Amino acid sequence: MKRQGLLLTVLAVALLGGLFAYGLLRGEPDRDIPTALKGKPAPAFELPVHEHYVNQFGETLSLEELEGRPLVVNFWASWCAPCYDEAPVLQAYWERYEDTGVVFVGVQTQDRGKRAEGRAFIDLFGLSFPNVVDDDSAVSVDWGLFGVPETFFVSRDGVVLDKHVGPVTPQVLDAQLAALLR
Amino acid sequence: MTGSRPARLGALLACLLALAFGLAQAVQLDSRVFEIARQLRCPVCTSESVADSSVELAQQMRQIIKDQLEAGRSEREILAYFQQRYGDWILLDPPKRGIHLVVWVLAGAAVVVGAGALAVVGRRWVGRSRQPIAVDPADLERVRAELQGLETDPDAPEAGLR
Repeated sequence: MKRQGLLLTVLAVALLGGLFAYGLLRGEPDRDIPTALKGKPAPAFELPVHEHYVNQFGETLSLEELEGRPLVVNFWASWCAPCYDEAPVLQAYWERYEDTGVVFVGVQTQDRGKRAEGRAFIDLFGLSFPNVVDDDSAVSVDWGLFGVPETFFVSRDGVVLDKHVGPVTPQVLDAQLAALLR
Repeated sequence: MTGSRPARLGALLACLLALAFGLAQAVQLDSRVFEIARQLRCPVCTSESVADSSVELAQQMRQIIKDQLEAGRSEREILAYFQQRYGDWILLDPPKRGIHLVVWVLAGAAVVVGAGALAVVGRRWVGRSRQPIAVDPADLERVRAELQGLETDPDAPEAGLR
């Protein structure tokens, strides 16, 4: 009876210890949350275009206009430090992949009333792919965003293939663009 | 100004009533917004509900709830809207299906097992307290002899020592 009790206690402690170790070692839990939109149609939007791109795209840009083309939709904000890290990577990949038919779209979001700061961000990195403004963050919620930066990869037929949380790296873009253009 | 005094008073009263009615409706709508927002996890400050969080995204989510309520959508439909975008993660109370059932079943099972264990342990304790206390016959004899010597009621102590 006594040995049985001891065994049970040891077992319970081992179980709790294992759970604790798992919790410590599994990394940042937020990064593991998959997008609920994966495999579903990308939510439609029509947003005002940043001044830099009005001549090329008009006053607003909608998802509908880009139908039939694979998309890299990057959500950013002027206050977000990791967005500054990834912007040059995005610009470099845009220059490299522009001719393949893929379209990069930057969405300034969760950044109410900060259009001027957004313009400065675009100027700083000389972003030549279209950037739009989601001033009330409505599109951000529609796309199930947790924070910024987040980047969605949308197939030619408008289905969300994948999402990357945090700044994109060359490795991420290499893999995702290969899948997108397959 | 035209109209008699009672007519003007009546008009004022009607205006006030309309204002109060409008205000009451707005308050009711706001309380429904918060009621739904309380059930949603804030995507930015993940340990807070959308009702408690003050970040921009949570504010926008409350606005979306308000817009959808005004458009006549039900609480269930609004929760489903967020669930489609963020998955079950967005609900502070996990839904009672699939893997989430574990949380609900485990909580119930823990109560049942706990109550069962308490009952068993309680019965064991009570049973143990009812068992006669083992006493050395020599000691018993000595106490009896001492008690007899005290010239007290001979029946009472024996009942206790049996």
